[in-house]
Amino acid sequence: MLKINSKTGLSSLIIFTVLLLAWVAGFSSRLFAVIRFESIIHEFDPWFNYRATAYMVENGFYKFLNWFDERAWYPLGRIVGGTVYPGLMITSGSIHYILHLLNIDVHIRDICVFLAPIFSGLTAISTYLLTKELWSAGAGLFAACFIAIVPGYISRSVAGSYDNEGIAIFALQFTYYLWVKSVKTGSIFWSCMTALSYFYMVSAWGGYVFIINLIPLHVFVLLLMGRYSNRLFTSYTTFYILGLLFSMQIPFVGFQPIRTSEHMAASGVFALIIAVAILKYFQSVLSKAEFKSLFVVGASVSAAVVFLAVVVLTYAGYIAPWSGRFYSLWDTGYAKIHIPIIASVSEHQPTTWFSFFFDLHVLITTFPAGLWYCIKNINDERVFVVLYALSAVYFAGVMVRLMLTLTPVVCMLSGIAFSVLLDLFLREEDTPRSSESDGDDEQTVSSNRRLYDKAGRVPKMKHEQVKESDGIGANLRSIIIVVMLLLLMLFAVHCTWVTSNAYSSPSIVLASYGNDGSRQILDDFREAYYWLSQNTADDARVMSWWDYGYQIAGMANRTTLVDNNTWNNSHIALVGKAMSSNESAAYEIMTSLGVDYVLVIFGGVIGYSGDDINKFLWMVRIAEGEHPKDIREGDYFTEHGEFRVDAEGSPTLLNCLMYKLSYYRFGEVRLDYRNPGGFDRTRNAVIGNKDFTLTYLEEAYTTEHWLVRIYRVKKPHEFNRPRIPFSNRIVKTQSFISKKNSKRRKGTLKNKPVVMKGKKLATKQL
Amino acid sequence: MNFIIYLIFSILSVVNASGNTLVLLDNQVIRETHSIFFKLLQDAGYQLTFKIADDSTLHLSKYGEYLYDNLIIFAPSVEEFGGSLNVDAITQFIDEGGNVFVAGSSATGDILRELASECGFEVDEEGAFVIDHLNYDVSDNGQHTKIVVPSEFLIDAPIIVGERKAIAPLLYRGTGILADPENPLVLPILTADSTAYSYIPEQQIKEYPHAVGKNTVLIAGLQARNNARIVFSGSLDFFSDDYFTSSVQKGEQGDKVPVSGNQKVALSIADWVFKQRGQLRVRSVKHHKQGEKVPPQAYTIMDQIVYSIEVDILESGEWKPFNTNDIQLEFVRIDPFIRTTLTRKVPGKYEAIFKIPDVYGVYQLNVDYDRVGYTRLYSSTQVSVRPLQHTQYERFIPSAYPYYISAFSMMFGVFLFSFVFLHYKDEPTTKTKGD
Repeated sequence: MLKINSKTGLSSLIIFTVLLLAWVAGFSSRLFAVIRFESIIHEFDPWFNYRATAYMVENGFYKFLNWFDERAWYPLGRIVGGTVYPGLMITSGSIHYILHLLNIDVHIRDICVFLAPIFSGLTAISTYLLTKELWSAGAGLFAACFIAIVPGYISRSVAGSYDNEGIAIFALQFTYYLWVKSVKTGSIFWSCMTALSYFYMVSAWGGYVFIINLIPLHVFVLLLMGRYSNRLFTSYTTFYILGLLFSMQIPFVGFQPIRTSEHMAASGVFALIIAVAILKYFQSVLSKAEFKSLFVVGASVSAAVVFLAVVVLTYAGYIAPWSGRFYSLWDTGYAKIHIPIIASVSEHQPTTWFSFFFDLHVLITTFPAGLWYCIKNINDERVFVVLYALSAVYFAGVMVRLMLTLTPVVCMLSGIAFSVLLDLFLREEDTPRSSESDGDDEQTVSSNRRLYDKAGRVPKMKHEQVKESDGIGANLRSIIIVVMLLLLMLFAVHCTWVTSNAYSSPSIVLASYGNDGSRQILDDFREAYYWLSQNTADDARVMSWWDYGYQIAGMANRTTLVDNNTWNNSHIALVGKAMSSNESAAYEIMTSLGVDYVLVIFGGVIGYSGDDINKFLWMVRIAEGEHPKDIREGDYFTEHGEFRVDAEGSPTLLNCLMYKLSYYRFGEVRLDYRNPGGFDRTRNAVIGNKDFTLTYLEEAYTTEHWLVRIYRVKKPHEFNRPRIPFSNRIVKTQSFISKKNSKRRKGTLKNKPVVMKGKKLATKQL
Repeated sequence: MNFIIYLIFSILSVVNASGNTLVLLDNQVIRETHSIFFKLLQDAGYQLTFKIADDSTLHLSKYGEYLYDNLIIFAPSVEEFGGSLNVDAITQFIDEGGNVFVAGSSATGDILRELASECGFEVDEEGAFVIDHLNYDVSDNGQHTKIVVPSEFLIDAPIIVGERKAIAPLLYRGTGILADPENPLVLPILTADSTAYSYIPEQQIKEYPHAVGKNTVLIAGLQARNNARIVFSGSLDFFSDDYFTSSVQKGEQGDKVPVSGNQKVALSIADWVFKQRGQLRVRSVKHHKQGEKVPPQAYTIMDQIVYSIEVDILESGEWKPFNTNDIQLEFVRIDPFIRTTLTRKVPGKYEAIFKIPDVYGVYQLNVDYDRVGYTRLYSSTQVSVRPLQHTQYERFIPSAYPYYISAFSMMFGVFLFSFVFLHYKDEPTTKTKGD
């Protein structure tokens, strides 16, 4: 007994060490951005999350809940408390609170910056737990190590990327772990814990819909497979009721769980499982023939009733139909046609094959193997992971962004695959008689690592051992193991390389490398935002495309018209219309919206491709969706259907506000000697409209590398006099040549009285 | 913000109320021929500085400060101003709030024409007179250029020209002005009769005259968006002693009026252009919830809001309460949600009480009072209107009572059931016995 205890102790020490190392490795590989640049919030959405967190820390939770942000979506305003998933803010706010209780004085910004890396460790642990429930502890350790460094997850959780996903993946994995646990045990305790964890997930990320559809799907498939059990009934009913009530506590979610189609699957399965339970009960009471007829009638009637109820409620308006974002999951072309604003976001594009490999490397090839092992040795919870894998693969194929939900399951299944392989090929190095099989489900403790797989060695199932030890020679084993280790090493190298090169740019500070390898920091964004905060009135209203709304609010603290919370399409379309109209039409829109400054991003000088001209067609499309009479996408293309900014570009494009603001006085600039003035490096073209002046706006500020250009919108009283332009004058005047010079300052009169000597003063009559 | 700017403008103009005026003349003779007009101005408190228009020491500003508040150009024949004065300097003077009063004649030079075009009207070409073969004065020399304009052709704005009915017919001799009809800021202060046209009298009419009938503006005014005022008269003689004092007789058999209305109108126009008339300001704007004194940081939807504004008018150099009944308030969030006429409580103080609509957002309380002759009165106050807080909703809704009852009865039932479940142990044994 003592011996076994020490073995158990050793194995738990190893598990602990591996998980700790995974945590440390995951944490440190996410620090590239902080080390290269500084401890700063990245990108766009994190800026809002940070601003909201700072507000909550400063004013308390209830103020945050009731926060009406008058600086966003001017003049509509935004009820922040009711339109945000507060989990992230509450998490970092409570960490801040606890640390301050312990007199550890940390700025809230640092907590926000490092929150995602810290949570990646928790994700690793919950992945370990989930995989352990599904397969074995060894597979769990593999999965934990994978998820700690896999780029697909790092892309959303580097230090400074303070976004919902950073904590939501942890919540997702932990909820699944608890769910699997509760299905296995059938205990109300575990399903209550599942519901609580689900509550945290709902509070953290809109992706909770994935859980509330996957778990019912799991239950449904189990029912279809005839795997109904009282454990399943207990855990699902408890989870559904509690989870429903909890999720409705989040103001942003509100009544959606009982009113929208996305959540209807869960309630349908809830009704179904109760129906099945009733049938089972009748089955125990009635005779077989009676039951058969009852089953047919009961099943068809209840199915019809449920279906009709959903249809009727949908038509009556009690259940909202699928939202656009969901349609675009089924029909990838849907968003492009109907909701340009969703299609315009780069992370909503379909995933390329390349990015599967880029984000998952070797795991994408090993994960089908793990999936196959799961299908081969199916049981209740492996049905779950199979469904998880299949649905996640589909969604990841539809949207780049959902790669994130695929990553954990890929790590888990690859962990299983690697663990099985190692099990197979390392076994022989134990005592030749070692044979405890692992392929079997739950109670298996054994695993890949030599040291602790002895722990639970209880010989059993002798028949299995025979076929295994045959056929594989020692050389083959060692070759395969070396190859596998090599693969894993390459994976680690790839992960570090991708993290360092692709996912560690804060994107508000850009870096460029000179020929000699020296690094130049382009800090134009912050320069511009700082200028705004220092040089404009506190209530100045800044119009920009919605991408920059959060940053302007977060860094410059100025009122914005639209921002990354794209809740009001018509307001965005109005801004898009202003940007794509000519100057005078745009001025009308801008005065009606009370715009004081316009901010555009222009990459033509440094060759930055994410600038407003490259995004411009989306502005046109979004504006066209709401104002089809004024804006037509076709006007912005040449006759050959090209979008070009040079002299052959369409006149509508060359005279729209966005073009003018981007290229104002750009024609005077010669960037190098090989190209003429006004050469746009991003689009490799000489701009088509060089010499123009702005009537209704004036340049207020342009940053060092021209990346951000800010214009002031003139007020009506600055167009003081209604001047008649020369071309419109009826009575033309001759061009005027001054007779004055620096010495002779005297003017001229037509009928000047002339003093004649010896005569009296005389004036010529008219 | 706008309100503050407005206030600064208003205060500035109070200080300058009877300010310095630079008078540019063709020659010193005009000072004599128009002595009544200048005398009246001096009596009204203006300090007039007379200069010849080609004087090489002409300056409007020195070290960035304007030396004068008003500029009178009674020099039709000027071709180029002396010193640092030119069209750009004058337009800049206007843009910075200066008032300009120009009188031309048929000899108006290109430089004045340029200045007029900068202000939105045009002066007919050199040598052109307004000719009216039906409404000429009896003293006319035969070309019918000294025309008689009845007072109903004055603009219907007592604040600019005084009461029209009490004014005798006017005498006019000079060129015509073309006003841009699409321009909302230009005021045709005096127009000619429908029988008038503007042309060079000696020449035979070969092409269509530039100005015909009522489109021929004789005196044009402009109040720029910064409330600077400009008046452009096509006739210098209109302001002369001769025309001020002479009698008017339309044609040979018309009624003879002993004294023309020129003097009255000239003085009214001068007072208007130099901002002695029709100048409004906002003294104060207040808003608060009904029953409170100070404005809250943000209003809540469906609050009752009280808005009050005090409006002053400048009368003979003093700010006095302005009384009218047509000031409107708009409650705007992109579009006006509420538009209501303010009611006058005490003289010069207007008030409106209304209920904020059930829509949250950032609103402007706008008062925009723009009447002919008055300076534009514009006040915009931004208030935010927030939705209900989580504590402000109704706690118990009557229609939800069935749910409350079901919830509580369920809880009670479960509570009872748990007792039964826990303590009613004996029965199964008895039951099995029974079975």
